Amino acid sequence: MENNVLVSLKDVKKSVGSKEIIKGLSFDIHGGEVFGFLGPNGAGKTTTIRMMVGLMSLSSGEITIKGKNIKTQYKEAIANVGAIVENPEMYKFLTGYQNLLHFSRMVKGVSKQRIKEVVALVGLTDRIHEKVKRYSLGMRQRLGIAQALLHSPSVLILDEPTNGLDPAGIREIREYLRDLARKEGIAVIVSSHLLSEMELMCDRIAIIQKGELIGLQATREFVQGAGTKKVRFVVDQPQAAEKAARHHLKEGEIGTGDDYIEMIVEREDIPEITATLVVEGVRIYSIVAETQTLEEKFLEVTGGESVV
Amino acid sequence: MSNFWGLIRNENMKIYRKPGTFVMMGILVALVLITAFLFKNIVDETVTGNWKQKLQTENVQLQKEIKKEAKSNPGIVKYNTEKIEINKYRIKHNYQPIRSVADYLQKSTSMVSIIVILTLIVAGGSVAGEFSAGTIKMLLIRPSSRTMILLSKFIAVILFAIVLLLLNFVASFIIGGLVYGFEGASQPILEYVNGHVETMNVFGEIWKQYGYGCIELIIMATFAFMLSVMFRNSSLAIAASIILSMSGSIIMSFISKYSWSKYVLFANTDLTMYTAGRTPLVKGMTLNFSIAVLLVYFIVFTVLTVVVFKKRDVAA
Repeated sequence: MENNVLVSLKDVKKSVGSKEIIKGLSFDIHGGEVFGFLGPNGAGKTTTIRMMVGLMSLSSGEITIKGKNIKTQYKEAIANVGAIVENPEMYKFLTGYQNLLHFSRMVKGVSKQRIKEVVALVGLTDRIHEKVKRYSLGMRQRLGIAQALLHSPSVLILDEPTNGLDPAGIREIREYLRDLARKEGIAVIVSSHLLSEMELMCDRIAIIQKGELIGLQATREFVQGAGTKKVRFVVDQPQAAEKAARHHLKEGEIGTGDDYIEMIVEREDIPEITATLVVEGVRIYSIVAETQTLEEKFLEVTGGESVV
Repeated sequence: MSNFWGLIRNENMKIYRKPGTFVMMGILVALVLITAFLFKNIVDETVTGNWKQKLQTENVQLQKEIKKEAKSNPGIVKYNTEKIEINKYRIKHNYQPIRSVADYLQKSTSMVSIIVILTLIVAGGSVAGEFSAGTIKMLLIRPSSRTMILLSKFIAVILFAIVLLLLNFVASFIIGGLVYGFEGASQPILEYVNGHVETMNVFGEIWKQYGYGCIELIIMATFAFMLSVMFRNSSLAIAASIILSMSGSIIMSFISKYSWSKYVLFANTDLTMYTAGRTPLVKGMTLNFSIAVLLVYFIVFTVLTVVVFKKRDVAA
């Protein structure tokens, strides 16, 4: 990854009354990546996002966007940000177009042509002159993304961007966000409770719980774990297969079933074991390496804590 | 600066694209229409023919009433005395009583209290409405300072109040003219002030009253803005500011006997009490005193509003 830090959090803390709800978050977000923000409800995701866009003040620490401090250089910092915080709440009595016109007047250099482009991009061209109160949740979400993109920001912050979209819409937005990161080099920050969604969309994922960062990894590493994994060989003779595999596996369990054996091995051991089984005359029908889904990993990391 | 102009355009768009805004304007015009007919009974009728003779006969009548009611009804005595003096003045200076649109236009400034309520609704919705709808989050994450956003809203609300004042004037002029006639509108108004009759230019007098109305609207809008920022809930902010402004005169009637009551906001909002023929709420109050008091309230309200709005975490 290129070393292009667009957003930087340094020991960010937030207290409400005597309660500390964010307990020192530090991480950097780079241009060109889709960064996922994950955590159970009430973990402090939205609070952190609110602090990033200046809706909430920081109790201590510092947030910079493109090197500009959100507290002391607010206008310069926020000019680089497009965002949806929680739901995309727009003026319901205005049309979609009037809403975009409204937000375009608050930033520099958004032409009518640009509004048109963005509208086409989110697929609202046919309905843009209708009042927002007649929009479905999915259309509101699209309009929300349109207003965030109007001024071509270099940091895009979206809270639950696929909320309310149908599967085709989710896919479209997902690909679009990945494209934005890849091609335009912008930093896309998303939060979501749809974990499978995050897995498909994000390059890196930060997990926060009770206001603390408890994991920050590339999605691939995160899902696959560092090295070992559970592998299942579907075979015709499980007993013989077990005996053969035992040679390779000095320690650890080998489980057997009616038509399979399974064991926890290093990735590099899989071809060797397969070769041995073949030499021993075991017929192999399939080899499945079980990858943990993000959801399982998430529950594992957060201790499967239920939402209070 | 072009950015700030954009902010004001935004706020105007949000006010005038709401269907409710035109309902409000419709209500105002309807009220002008109703009162135009109601005032017909209050305003003196045109006296035709040998009007000087008729006024003298009226004066004799009024004098009789004064004798009869001298002890029991001081109000009538005062009213009749003034009326007699004005009638004498008319006869002496040849001012025929002609009922015209000017009489109604003078009364039309009483509509300012309705305009205050409509302005409070718009002012309350302007800030608190954004919190209620959640749009405040969209509004504040732009490269504009919160102070500028607040100021643009305030200016838009004051512009709205001015639009209502103009609408009131135009509607009153047209409807009043149709009901009372445009003829004789240029005649001066006669008022009984400090023991003698004075002539006043009608339109000068009306503009003065509209000017006072403007000051009342500005201070009330500031008040509504403050409540709006504190409560962050449009219904609560609107209800509170309307109830307080309407009960203001009732509260004043209870406390006006205490001299400290002249420092209360609502003792000073209605500046028309300093126009001819009316007395101030509390003894010893003057126009300059009221303006000074209002200015202090205005500064306090503004500072509180801006400080709270700037500091506040937005969690809507």
